Amino acid sequence: MMRRYDFLKAIAGDARNALVVAAGGAAREWQALKSGDGCFRPRTLGLASSIALGISIGLPRRKVMVIDGDGAFLMNLCGLPTVAWHSAGNLIHLLFDNECYEASGGTETATSSVADAVALAKGAGYKNACWVKNPREFHEEFRKAWRRNELSLIAAKVKPGQPKVPPIRYDELENKYRFIRHIEKTEKKSILGSADHAARKYGK
Amino acid sequence: MGQPECAEQIKESIKRAGIDLVASLPDEKMVELIKSIGRDPSLKHLPLCREEEGVGICAGAYLTGMKCALLMQNAGFLNSCNALTTTSLQFEIPLLMLIYYAGDIGDRGFATVGSVTEPALRGLGIRTYILRRVEEADEVIGGAQVLAEDSKRPVAVLLTKTALGVG
Repeated sequence: MMRRYDFLKAIAGDARNALVVAAGGAAREWQALKSGDGCFRPRTLGLASSIALGISIGLPRRKVMVIDGDGAFLMNLCGLPTVAWHSAGNLIHLLFDNECYEASGGTETATSSVADAVALAKGAGYKNACWVKNPREFHEEFRKAWRRNELSLIAAKVKPGQPKVPPIRYDELENKYRFIRHIEKTEKKSILGSADHAARKYGK
Repeated sequence: MGQPECAEQIKESIKRAGIDLVASLPDEKMVELIKSIGRDPSLKHLPLCREEEGVGICAGAYLTGMKCALLMQNAGFLNSCNALTTTSLQFEIPLLMLIYYAGDIGDRGFATVGSVTEPALRGLGIRTYILRRVEEADEVIGGAQVLAEDSKRPVAVLLTKTALGVG
């Protein structure tokens, strides 16, 4: 069985200007594969898919990817019907299922025995959801998902463990500001506006 | 003033506060308000399955420049405490929380949830204002949104049944 990093390597080149929401190890790996400020790193277990939905609603013409894990996915199951209900179609949900809470010590999740993440996504209303066996299939499905412009979940069973990748160098606030500035620059829009209170008071 | 009129007035205050997106879970007392938000094409309405995801959706939309409100019961606010802590507060993301105050003075059936609402908000350090009279909706809702943006934090407005026109 391969690791998440082997799968991510297969799609990094084709992810172009997609905005990415990924927590913990997935964020470190993605940053090692793709430099820049287009990755937002949540700190609430499970919330990545909901945050990605919010971004995809705000920028319906931009591709948004969430890199999820089984523990997070199970923590926010009730978020799945909401994603399926309101997604504008520009959201690609990637799920790496290592059947354990790796960051919290490695004890097993429900996907290690009874729960099937793809079936859960389908039941929640995802029209496109599939398992892939290897990075080649993952890459194919990713390209299909990109082209069809309809909410898609691509899931792979992976073994736990991280390659040696550099640590993240900045904290939550810097992550937030860099991410917003990245959107401002690439979408050519002002988001944060003026921080000059006196100017704001006079409507400038 | 009856429920539909109060709902209309509160919805207009939400719009005047500059809100673009309202994520919601219902309370019986807020159904008119939610319907009125859903009918208005200038507001994006997002019905949720659980309040905590709403905190995430609103945070994501904020990163793209949208102004968001989360409409819910106080029981739902309690459902969303972890996300409020580790997303809204930790990343300093503004959020207008419009919370039905079940178990408030004179409200039957929800005394327990009512009794922990304000202490829980205080515990999170979320500034809280109570809207009792719909005539003050502009001042309270608009003011709370200014405070949320300026402090880059969630700000709560507790909506009472009298403000919603429920007898």
